[in-house]
Amino acid sequence: MATTEKRGVKDDRFPSTGEQTVWADVSPLLTSACNDLQDGELIHGENFSLFAAMSALEIMDPKMDSGIESCGYRSVEEAIENGAAPIPLSSDRTVDVQCTIDVMDHLLACEATWHKGHSLAQTIFSCIYLLKLERTSSHALLHSYCRIIRATCNAVISVVSDARTHEEEDLFTMAHGLPLKGEGDEKCLSMLNAVEETISRQLRACKAPSSKKKVLEDIEPLQTNLDLEEGFCKALLCRIRFRKHFYHVLMCMRKPQGRGLDLARKHIAACLSELSCIHKSLGFLRSNACGSSQDDIEDGTTASGCQAVGFDASLNSRLLAPTPPRSIRILSWKKALEYYEKLLQDLDIICSFSLDPLLEGVLRFVVQFQRSQPDLVARAHLQLLLVQDGKLYGRDPFYDVISRAIGDQEVQKNKFVGHLGQLVINLLKILCTNAAWQRRKLGKILQDWSVTSVQVELACKIECEEKSNTSADENACLKLSKALLIWTEEQTYWIAYRFLMLGFELELYSPNEYCMVYWFMYIILIKLLEKAQLRIAGSIDTTKRKGKKKRELSKDASRDAPMPPSILLLQCYIFLSEGLAMMLAALCNEHKVFQRPGIFNTEQERFIQHFELLQKARILDHISYVLFEEWTFRSCFSTVVKYNYFGDVQRISKELKNSFAGDPDRLAEVRQIEQVAVHNRIALNVINHAGGHDPSLNVSFEFSHHPCFAVAVVKRS
Amino acid sequence: MEEEGGEGVVELSISASEISYESYGGEHHLPLIMRLVDQELSEPYSIFTYRYFVYLWPQLSFLAFHNGNCVGTVVCKMGEHRNTFRGYIAMLVVIKPYRGKGIATELVTRSIEVMRESGCEEVTLEAEVTNKGALALYGRLGFIRAKRLFRYYLNGVDAFRLKLLFPRPELNPSLLEDYDHCHHDHHMQEGCSQHYHGF
Repeated sequence: MATTEKRGVKDDRFPSTGEQTVWADVSPLLTSACNDLQDGELIHGENFSLFAAMSALEIMDPKMDSGIESCGYRSVEEAIENGAAPIPLSSDRTVDVQCTIDVMDHLLACEATWHKGHSLAQTIFSCIYLLKLERTSSHALLHSYCRIIRATCNAVISVVSDARTHEEEDLFTMAHGLPLKGEGDEKCLSMLNAVEETISRQLRACKAPSSKKKVLEDIEPLQTNLDLEEGFCKALLCRIRFRKHFYHVLMCMRKPQGRGLDLARKHIAACLSELSCIHKSLGFLRSNACGSSQDDIEDGTTASGCQAVGFDASLNSRLLAPTPPRSIRILSWKKALEYYEKLLQDLDIICSFSLDPLLEGVLRFVVQFQRSQPDLVARAHLQLLLVQDGKLYGRDPFYDVISRAIGDQEVQKNKFVGHLGQLVINLLKILCTNAAWQRRKLGKILQDWSVTSVQVELACKIECEEKSNTSADENACLKLSKALLIWTEEQTYWIAYRFLMLGFELELYSPNEYCMVYWFMYIILIKLLEKAQLRIAGSIDTTKRKGKKKRELSKDASRDAPMPPSILLLQCYIFLSEGLAMMLAALCNEHKVFQRPGIFNTEQERFIQHFELLQKARILDHISYVLFEEWTFRSCFSTVVKYNYFGDVQRISKELKNSFAGDPDRLAEVRQIEQVAVHNRIALNVINHAGGHDPSLNVSFEFSHHPCFAVAVVKRS
Repeated sequence: MEEEGGEGVVELSISASEISYESYGGEHHLPLIMRLVDQELSEPYSIFTYRYFVYLWPQLSFLAFHNGNCVGTVVCKMGEHRNTFRGYIAMLVVIKPYRGKGIATELVTRSIEVMRESGCEEVTLEAEVTNKGALALYGRLGFIRAKRLFRYYLNGVDAFRLKLLFPRPELNPSLLEDYDHCHHDHHMQEGCSQHYHGF
């Protein structure tokens, strides 16, 4: 090893470092060391393992991969110096307007791409005009547009950050090193309004008949080609107005306690209207485009089809903000508009929520809302509406919410109510996240709920033992503890049920696992029903005891009272699960389908894995694979037909349709259940008729009528 | 024996017996693996990534040969993860003309057998939700889809975490430890998770 040490030499090239230290030039040493190593060879060290070597390199990321060739500009300044983002965009005012519209369109596409899960640095901040916003101040239109974009970004980031449940979507808020905050952004609306005002006048001016023109103030037109003035003015106005209304939507929705929701709806409607105008401007802009059109016009990020000027995706790759090495595709302009339409519709659903004070209603709303697969921005807004300052809608403390669910204010005195309130808050937040993450978290919180159940139960038992005399007050207290226990258990089963259902939506189960899943679901639902019935009976008791309005319910009547629709609905789901599980088991037994001999494991291992979290939470004792095996072993078609599960569902559905007559969402739900029942009943009869093991009969299961309850499809091959 | 297919596509009719399998034998195998993976998978890997796997767990990597050419490979690792000894399948590749012949299944099976013999309690991997071939292959071997990972891949595609649990004599579900993964870290993935598209 060559040694070239220069100790004790003061070298004026380098800054002085203190008394006892000097600089030593080790370049020759490093060079020889490099020559010692062949390509792909690696130094092994105690604290430099292969894992470290592998992880240290991030291929194609210029921050970490010194070998990557840098092409393009090395800095924003260099790009600007080379004319990558001219201001004005053209000396020809018509071209300048066209190019500005292209920038607006491409920015919209970038924004939608960012919302969909890509980094800010590679989307919105690929815009050089945004990277150096002050530069644009001479161009009022571009400047005000950039400001509102930046202000909107900040507003959206703030919502998502505050929701704090975007773990898997963490790229969204990462903005280190990006110029997100700027002075004067609060004035963005007034700037935009001024520009809008000017263009409106220009539009009026160009539409006025020539005789009136002399009366109107002399207004300089937007651009030089008078035939195109109207088209360009309109194209610009709808884009500006869209941004303005969208910003207002965000501001209104953030008002505490849902106070701004009605106004937000008005702005949403305006946004949708402007979106429609933006869409219509496509024809005009495309036929009056100048400049090169993008290769595939359908994938184009602008209405005109031309490439927008002033964007460079690679500029930020050396900044702190994450820029995953793989280049990303910006959404097409058309897809971006679709995204916004959906986002606005989702936000509108949130804004039209009645702010149901009952937890049951809130849970139902969130579950229903999630069925349309809303994106992160919409979900974050919902979460912030539901949970603010530790209260429901920022207004109702959760101990209140719980006591309303149980039907007795007194339950607030129970020492567990505070903790349960926290569990409910956590549950609501989780229910607003994306389905994949949601399911994992629901599986985890089952433990928390189950443990709390046990604690409440224990406290109940102790109370019971202590209260050997029968004073009415103490009896009431005990009843409350029991009511709280029942409610806690009911929520726990509800979470377990949702956990299992999400598995279908996420396609986690393969057909030969449907049977065990429906079986487990059936068992969970039975427990859920049991607790729900107890809760309802308990609250009727309470109302009777407190002599409230339901006095007309005599003791007999309360026993014979018709089952509330919520209970009937649960009954339907129980029959569907049981019926499907039995049918699948019978198919396995009699037709030898859905069997899967595993070479590495058996059905038991798969059972254990699927229900691991449920078992760990110990919400069901005595439920094991052995029990499942026994249950399915006895299943045969004649039994399934005899018990007529699906027929029962059809019968109950009729009754439910009457109960839910005024509620379109619930009606839709019942119709779906009915369809599943009808089709399965028919399939069952066909299979049963065929009898025995008929090799020409092909049975498959499809989710054509319900995302979680399958329908058997019978075909003859 | 090669045959020309209708549109001038060369089709190979090969019987399973013509494929030979070898366990990773040393440096001479490394370029074969790298070439295959570089060619077929879209994720760029540095040589250190390959070395990490094949140096530390040579017994878990296998190569498939036909007429002296390497046509497929599997690269894996195993180790302790939150109190579980678990195997992980990092890369699986079979070149296009050789797909659909069970080569991938054979490669994976051999590796899993070694994992089982070595005392692994389970085996895991990630696969794109759209990768029907991989999902079917692993499904047949007994893997379940334990989780769905939202936008796991940078192109926005979701992934399934697939897990195979080996049978154990003292099966008591209530004693199972928490296997769950911490949330996916964008910058430090557990090895290479990209899988071959299509078999």
